[in-house]
Amino acid sequence: MSYLNNPAVVMDNGTGLTKLGFAGNDSPSWVFPTAIATASSSGASTNTNASSLGGSSSGLSNTSKAYLTANSTSATNFNNLSTNALLSNNLSGKRGTEDLDFYIGNEALAASQTGSYSLNYPIRHGQIENWDHMERFWENSIFKYLRTEPEDHCFLLTEPPLNPPENREQIAEIFFESFNCAGLYIAVQAVLALAASWTSPKVSDRSLTGTVIDSGDGVTHVIPVAEGYVIGSAIKNIPIAGRDITVFIQQLLRERGEVDASLRTAEAIKQEYCYVCPDIVKEFNKFDREPSKFAQYIVENQEKTKRKVVDVGYERFLAPEIFFSPEIASSDFLTPLPTLVDQTIQACPIDVRKGLYNNIVLSGGSTMFKDFGRRLQRDLKSLVNARIQQSELSSGSKSTGVDVQVISHRRQRNAVWFGGSLLAQTGEFKSYCHTKQDYDEYGPEIVRNFSLFNMV
Amino acid sequence: MSQSLKPYLTAVRYSLTAALNLSNFSSQEVERHNRPEIEVAHQSMELLLNPMHISRNEHEQVLIEPSVNSVRVSIKVKQSDEIEEILVHKFTRFLEQRAENFYILRRVPINNNYSISFLITNQHTETMKVNKLVDFIIEFMEEVDKEISEMKLFLNARARFVAEAYLSEFVY
Amino acid sequence: MLHLPSNNLLLQKTINEAIEAYAQGKPIILDRIVSDFDHTTFHVSTPETNNGDIDREQLLLSITTRAWASILNTTNATLPKLQEFLLAKLQLPANVASLPQQVEQGYDFTVALNLSALAVEHLDTLSLLKVYILSYPFQFAIEEFVQLSNAIVDEAEEGIKQSEKIYRIDYRNDESFYIRSSSDRITVCFQTTFQDETDQIFGKVFIQEFVDSRKRNRSIQSSPQVLYSNEPPLEIKSEVKSLSPTKNNNNFITFVLFPRHLSNPELQFKTISTLCLFRNYFHYHIKCSKAYLHSRMRYRVGTFVKVLNRAKVEKADDESESAGTKKDLERRTFTGKKMVY
Repeated sequence: MSYLNNPAVVMDNGTGLTKLGFAGNDSPSWVFPTAIATASSSGASTNTNASSLGGSSSGLSNTSKAYLTANSTSATNFNNLSTNALLSNNLSGKRGTEDLDFYIGNEALAASQTGSYSLNYPIRHGQIENWDHMERFWENSIFKYLRTEPEDHCFLLTEPPLNPPENREQIAEIFFESFNCAGLYIAVQAVLALAASWTSPKVSDRSLTGTVIDSGDGVTHVIPVAEGYVIGSAIKNIPIAGRDITVFIQQLLRERGEVDASLRTAEAIKQEYCYVCPDIVKEFNKFDREPSKFAQYIVENQEKTKRKVVDVGYERFLAPEIFFSPEIASSDFLTPLPTLVDQTIQACPIDVRKGLYNNIVLSGGSTMFKDFGRRLQRDLKSLVNARIQQSELSSGSKSTGVDVQVISHRRQRNAVWFGGSLLAQTGEFKSYCHTKQDYDEYGPEIVRNFSLFNMV
Repeated sequence: MSQSLKPYLTAVRYSLTAALNLSNFSSQEVERHNRPEIEVAHQSMELLLNPMHISRNEHEQVLIEPSVNSVRVSIKVKQSDEIEEILVHKFTRFLEQRAENFYILRRVPINNNYSISFLITNQHTETMKVNKLVDFIIEFMEEVDKEISEMKLFLNARARFVAEAYLSEFVY
Repeated sequence: MLHLPSNNLLLQKTINEAIEAYAQGKPIILDRIVSDFDHTTFHVSTPETNNGDIDREQLLLSITTRAWASILNTTNATLPKLQEFLLAKLQLPANVASLPQQVEQGYDFTVALNLSALAVEHLDTLSLLKVYILSYPFQFAIEEFVQLSNAIVDEAEEGIKQSEKIYRIDYRNDESFYIRSSSDRITVCFQTTFQDETDQIFGKVFIQEFVDSRKRNRSIQSSPQVLYSNEPPLEIKSEVKSLSPTKNNNNFITFVLFPRHLSNPELQFKTISTLCLFRNYFHYHIKCSKAYLHSRMRYRVGTFVKVLNRAKVEKADDESESAGTKKDLERRTFTGKKMVY
């Protein structure tokens, strides 16, 4: 079997960002927006740079610099790419080859600026909406960015909880029929996030039971997982996530009349300065006593000639606070995150609740704020303790207590991808994959079931 | 439209319209069951009507199997060479994979002689207009042929383009 | 994307990250796998010094490729010779790249890079490392070709001389390519198989076009001649092993390179790097056309469903009314997005 020695490919396609890489690595090789820029039919005619057949375009050095930019942390921002480099394989003007004329990731964002390409996000709310675009997105990911022959590698893909099995079948159809991939495994994101937490020193037993708090750009999910199976009926989500925090910061900046209140600046401030405080009132006082708490963020224009100075004030702790006191930003959603986690676990079968309280795992970029895990643990503990006290009072018997533990670890930002990398590098992984032979024999429905990883 | 295609499609249209005269019919063998009789191998042969076989040539044929509450239509799509064979196979499998959306599509053809099969029951004729259903089958037959030949053309054009693009890399 | 790039983008990016981090005074510790086509894996790592510390000044780049053993074998080269060849090809100053004492375990070739001297422009050759490895037997073939053609000129002989040597490179498990020189041409023959029945039939269409397009299109007449057969061509027959039992799955695609493709070192390299990607290019485009057919079929499903839905008897108004109330019930986030459950 030729594919056994090659590293498995791990792909985590999220609503905002896609993470691509090889099993065994400690971080994804590529992180870029899940975006695809396709030639728009109206703009294609205006673009006359169709010299692709001239054969002169394969210069090895001039086209390559643009992709060297570092991995993204944002789905809307791109590092300034020189758009000229993109036009070297422009195919417009050649009829019947429009399907080859597209860009993905950062290049897509750059290409959409030129006007002859239109930008699309094929994944919405975690689920693939446009299969045509997704198929080409994968095609480019595999051949251009990862440079792999899919026939030689196994693939680990991720899916959101409660993904309909038909979507899995469509994924299998694409990967086995279009790409002939050697093997395929589709894992639930929350389960991979749990596996990623095994690297934390706080985790003693490698179990797949726990509560995953997954907060990305669009939405925050609280997902209980018992022994590798998602308890679908108890999943809850809050409409507060990275994008909302950025918008909230932007709003504060605008109200104060800062010189630059763009979304980009707000995002940079969020990533650099924000943290979670134990108590807002005390924190306000602290800021008033120590002016050093206020920070300044400097916006430079592209040529680094002009500078604007933006003051950063209370939003440093107020912005992440909307997870814990949503009333400061919203009027229709008022449940704080710790309460929601408590409700989620209470909605689960009684015999797994202890395990769920004991192992609360964070995943995704919006859980990266300093002390986020500590605050969550404290708030949740007080909720749980209050309830225990009450039940002790009413029943008169002594409770054994519930251990609440929130685990945050270094791999949190790309936890899902990292969990995939951990699992896919194990020796058994390839035996859990469905192979091309299986697919040819049984058809797409085989991917409805995958055996779970054994916990060692 | 070529000379013999029109009479072929007309023949299918009239035979199908005639066959789609279905009524609700409870199973005679299993109590409180109501199943498409054409799909059940059973003893009560009186429920099945004579199948109709319409053939344009050896590559293009339609088999209509009527019964008291269901009709099965099987179509053999033209496949003149191995490329068309593989394209028809891929295309019909793609459709069958999405049979849920098509209400009347069977997930597998009745046997290897046919490319694709439809099963129309009395429930379908009660919720859908029969003449429109027939229209669909006819349009399907026309469009499939067109689609397969377009795909084949595409494949050839793409192969040519790709080959020329590769070889032009060697032109100095 | 029409052409696959010859250079490895990810390798470039990975090393670039290390350079940038070093320049900012925060060197990162790397341990990364990067892959390439045809069973090739790179390993970029920060080495340890003899006493077990981490050496942040250095970066090790190792490569393993399926073709390595057969390249050594077919050219009768010793390992140091090939290593020297590759180091020379990278064209890096001595203070940037050097050969470490031993090759990293599990890999075929290792080069140690000095981060303090490594610059972004050095990445161009580094990312072509795989092509350099594959170009090694080509170098021999080209030398022979030059000798043979000179001999013909010197002796004013008529006719064509053919080299005795056939280079055979097993670049994938069941697939090889062969190189043979003669006095007026170099023949490169790819033996390829298809795993999948569909690919095989699509592949035949593509190969046929490769064979025909030179005859048809005047502007590419100066490209190499392409020949195809199910049987191994006579020139290389003696070296061919491992024929698949089913005759249909033995595909031999021969490229005949003429002197004009090899007239100077730059053209030689371009010819070689394009040839090395032939198999990948070919299979990539088979996959692309399958993807395109999928999107056509998706479109067709849509139109068929539309036609079928016309047949539906429309229900009374109450259906649309209930849909309206349902819409109002849809919850939205406070930034106006729809909630998903």
